[in-house]
Amino acid sequence: MIKNKHVAIIGGGIAGMEAAAVLAKQGLKVTLIEKEAITGGKLNDWHHLFPDFFSPKTVIDNLIAKTNHSGVNVVYNTEISKIEKLNGRFELSDERDTKFYSDAVIIASGFRLFDATLKEEYGYGIFDNVITSVDFEKLMKTEGKLLTAQKTEPKRIAIIHCVGSRDAKTGNTYCSKVCCITGIKQAIEINKILPDSEIYCFYMDLRLYGLNFDSLYLHAQKQHKIQFIRGRLSEIAERFDKSLQLKTEDTLQGRPLRINVDTVILLIGMEPGASNNLFTKNNKVTIDENGFMKPINMHENRNSSTHDGIFLAGTVICPMAVNESIENARAAAFEVISYLEKNKL
Amino acid sequence: MEIKSKIKWSEYNKEIAEDHFFFLRSCIRQNFNPGAEKAFISILKNNLKKDIFDDARHTTCTGIGYHTDIVPFETMQTMIARQFSLMTEKGYKNCAVSCITSFGSYNEILSTWKEFPEELAKTRDYLKKATGREFEIPENLSHGCDIIYKFRKEIAAQSNYKLINIETGEPLKIVDHIGCHYSKIFPEKGVGGFEYSKVLTEMIQAWGGQPVDYPERRHCCGFGFRQYLVKSNRSYSISNSRKKFESMEPFKPDAIITNCPGCNMFLDRWQYTLAQIEGKTYGGGTNGIPVFSYEELAGLILGYDPWKLGLQMHQVDVEPFLKKIGVRYDPELKFVGINGKYINEPLFTGCLK
Amino acid sequence: MYSEIIKNLKTDVRLTEALQACMNCGICTAVCPAAEFYEYDPRSIAVSVQSENREKIIDLLESDTIWYCGQCMSCKTRCPRNNCSGLIISVLRKLSQETGAFTKSRMGRQQYLILKTIGNNILSRGYCIHPTTVVPETHPEQGPVWKWIYENMHDVYAVVGANLDCDGPGTMRKINSIDLNELNNIFIVSGGMKFFDTINHFSKLKAIEMGMVDEYGEADMEKYTQYLLQE
Repeated sequence: MIKNKHVAIIGGGIAGMEAAAVLAKQGLKVTLIEKEAITGGKLNDWHHLFPDFFSPKTVIDNLIAKTNHSGVNVVYNTEISKIEKLNGRFELSDERDTKFYSDAVIIASGFRLFDATLKEEYGYGIFDNVITSVDFEKLMKTEGKLLTAQKTEPKRIAIIHCVGSRDAKTGNTYCSKVCCITGIKQAIEINKILPDSEIYCFYMDLRLYGLNFDSLYLHAQKQHKIQFIRGRLSEIAERFDKSLQLKTEDTLQGRPLRINVDTVILLIGMEPGASNNLFTKNNKVTIDENGFMKPINMHENRNSSTHDGIFLAGTVICPMAVNESIENARAAAFEVISYLEKNKL
Repeated sequence: MEIKSKIKWSEYNKEIAEDHFFFLRSCIRQNFNPGAEKAFISILKNNLKKDIFDDARHTTCTGIGYHTDIVPFETMQTMIARQFSLMTEKGYKNCAVSCITSFGSYNEILSTWKEFPEELAKTRDYLKKATGREFEIPENLSHGCDIIYKFRKEIAAQSNYKLINIETGEPLKIVDHIGCHYSKIFPEKGVGGFEYSKVLTEMIQAWGGQPVDYPERRHCCGFGFRQYLVKSNRSYSISNSRKKFESMEPFKPDAIITNCPGCNMFLDRWQYTLAQIEGKTYGGGTNGIPVFSYEELAGLILGYDPWKLGLQMHQVDVEPFLKKIGVRYDPELKFVGINGKYINEPLFTGCLK
Repeated sequence: MYSEIIKNLKTDVRLTEALQACMNCGICTAVCPAAEFYEYDPRSIAVSVQSENREKIIDLLESDTIWYCGQCMSCKTRCPRNNCSGLIISVLRKLSQETGAFTKSRMGRQQYLILKTIGNNILSRGYCIHPTTVVPETHPEQGPVWKWIYENMHDVYAVVGANLDCDGPGTMRKINSIDLNELNNIFIVSGGMKFFDTINHFSKLKAIEMGMVDEYGEADMEKYTQYLLQE
C-alpha cells in the first residue's frame, strides 16, 4: 500500500503546494516544508498575472484551501539544506538539524530573482528612479500608483527587457522566458493609471510563446500606444534633475538612440535557487550548466532528478509561468505515485 | 560543475603590488604633463618610501601606433616583451605603467599570451632574434593610479591641504574621467571594475573631496587615436569632449580628475577650443574647469609647488582651484624659465580672453 | 589582391577573441562614440564579418567605414556575448592595409599621414609623440599655453624637472642609439618594418594612379601628402 508512504516536499510555493495537495488527496502522507512563515512563495508579492490580469491571490487562496482540505502537514520557517538517502529512506535536515524522513522527495524550492544591482550600468540601487519588475508589482499591490522618487507622475517610462538574462556578463546566458510578456502586461497597467505617459519597451527579441501573448502585444500597441524599440539597453545615467538618460540603438533604424525618461522598470530574470547547489551534496542530484536542477530527460521525464526517488517540480527546473509551474507540479505528483507503486515492496 | 561567479564590480579589488616597481613612462604624459611623471616618482620615493626604478633604456610601447593600425600586433608584443626584458634584467617583478593606452596594451598582450601560448613563444623568438634578449612575465602590472589609490590614505596622512574649500568648509565637487583602456577591455584589471571604478573617486574621498557622478562619465574623451592625430578628423575628438562638458556642466564641478595622460591633456585643451568656437565655457566665467591627473592632485595636496608639478602647462588656469584649497604659491613664478629668468608669457590663459 | 581574404581574416588570433557570435542587439552601437558622430554602426560590422560574405568584407576593406572607429573599446564592456567590435575593426584595418584596399577610401588613405608622423617618431625617437612634432600652426586647438611651451621648450621642460632630449633617465629623455637599434631590429624581425613598407608601397601606387609623379615618373609623395592633408 503506497498510502502509508511518506513524501516530503521542499518549498511551499505554488508548485510545492499543488504537488502536496494532489499527493495528499491520493491518501499519501505529505509534509510540505516552507522556509518562510507563509506559503505561496514569490507569488505573494505579485499584483496581476499575464496575460489576462488574473489575481495571484485567488491562485494562492485556492492552493491553501486545497492543501488544508487534503490534509497536508505544512511546516513553516524551515529551510532544508541537506538530503541524504539512509537505509532506503530519505533524511532531510535543516541548519538547526531538524530532521524529516520520507520515501520520496520533491524539490520545489523555486527560483531566485536576478540581483539587479549586479548590472551596475543600469543603476539599480544607485538611482532612485530605477526599479525592477518585482518592485513594480509590489508597488501596484500596496499603493496602486507609480510615482517618481520626487513624488511626481512619470511622463516617460522605459521598460527594459533581458535584465540578467541572455547576458554572459551576468553569467546568465539563458532566456527567462516570462519577462517579455510581463513587460507588456506592466506597460498596459501603467498606461491604464497614467494614460498621458509615454511608455517604451526596449527589447532584443520579443519572445511571446504563449497563446494570447501576441494578441496582448497587439493590444498594447493599438489600445495603449506602447512603443517597442528593438535595441538592447547599454546604460542608464542620472541627470541633474534626477531624470534618467538611456543609451541604446534603434537597431531597426540602425542608429544609436539617447533618450531621457523619468522612471525605468527592469525586467529581471529568474535564476537558479540558492539551495540548488546544496542539494547536489550527499546524493546524485545534479544541476545543469545554468545551475537549474537537471531532470533525467527533458522531453519525457522532466520531473525526475538524476537521483532515484528525488523529484523536481516547478521553477527549480527552469523558468516557468504560474500555470506551467502548477501543471508541472501535478505531473511530478504523478511521477512520485508511479515510483512508490513500483517500489512498494 | 562551475557556476559562473556573480561579481559586484564596484566592490571588486584587484591586486596592486606593495613595493619595488619598474616604471614605464607614457609618450603623451611626458610630452604634455612632464611634471606629473616626475611627481609620481617623487611621491613614491620620498613620500611613500617605495622603490621605483626609472630605466633610461625603455621606449614607447608603440600603443598609439598599434591603435592607429600602423604597428602590427606582433611588433607591439615584441616591443612590450623588450620592456619586460629590461625589468627582468634589473631584477624587478612589478610594473608601474604611466599610460592608460599602454596599460590596456600590456593587459591585452598578457591575456593573449595566456590564451594563445604560441603567441608568447613567437614573441620570445622575435625578441631573441632582434635583440638577443629574454624576459619574464611580470608578477604584477599596475597603473600609476592603482598605486596612488592603494596608498591614498598614507598620502592623506601626509597632506598639507585637503580637497575642501577653505572659505566654506565644503568638500570640493570633483568629477572623474577614467581612460577607456583602464578597464573597458578588462574590467578585472581596474579597481572596482569599469562601470563604477573607484580608483579615482576613493582618492577624492580620502583627500576630503566629494566625487560627483554625471551622465556622460563613461564616455570617451574623443581622442580616438587617428581621429585626433589626423587634423581633418579632429571634429570627432572635440565633439566627444563637448558631450562630456555639457553633461557635467549642471553639476558645477570644481575640477576634473583623470588617470589617462591623453584625456588629461584633451579635456584641458578642448575646453579652450570649444570656448573659442562657442564663446562660452562649461565652468562659468572665462576660465573653464581645471583638469588634474591623479599625480598632479596628489602632488598638490602633499604641498608640491604647482609650477614644479607643471600646472602652468595647462591651458585652463589652476589658480582658482589652488585658492579654494588654500595652496600657497607665487603667481610671479608661473611662467619663468630656468633659474627664474623671464621667458615671455602665453598670449593668454584660460578659455576666453 | 583579395585571394584567401576570408582565410586571412580568420587566422588573426584577435578575431577569435573579438567575435564569438553576434546577437545583433545593438548594445555596442548604443555607446559607440563613432556611431554618434559618423554614419557608423559597429553592430553591423560584427554581423558582416560573422556572415563571412566575401563581397561585404571587401566592401568594408575599401570603405571609409572601418576607419571611423576611435578604438575606445566601449563596445567590449557591454557586449552580452563578450564580443569586441573595436577589435574586429583592428583586424579589418590590418587586412585593408595588407591588401592595399585602404587606398580606395579617403579615410583609409590617411594611414600614410599617420605613418609619416607616428611611424617616423617611433623609429627615429623611440616615442610615438615628441614636443617638436606638435607644431602650433597645425595644432591650433592646443592653444596659447602650448604655443608658449613650444617656443620656450628648453626652459619649460627643464623647470618642471624633465630631461628633454638629454642622456640618462627622466621625462622626455633622449632614447640612445643602442636602444633605438633594438627597437628597429624588433620592427624588422616582427614584421613592423614590412608593414610600414606595405603602407608606403600602396600609397605610392595610389599617388601614381592619381597622376602625382615627378619628372622621372616616380610617385611624388610630397604632393600626395599635401593632397591627403587637403582631402
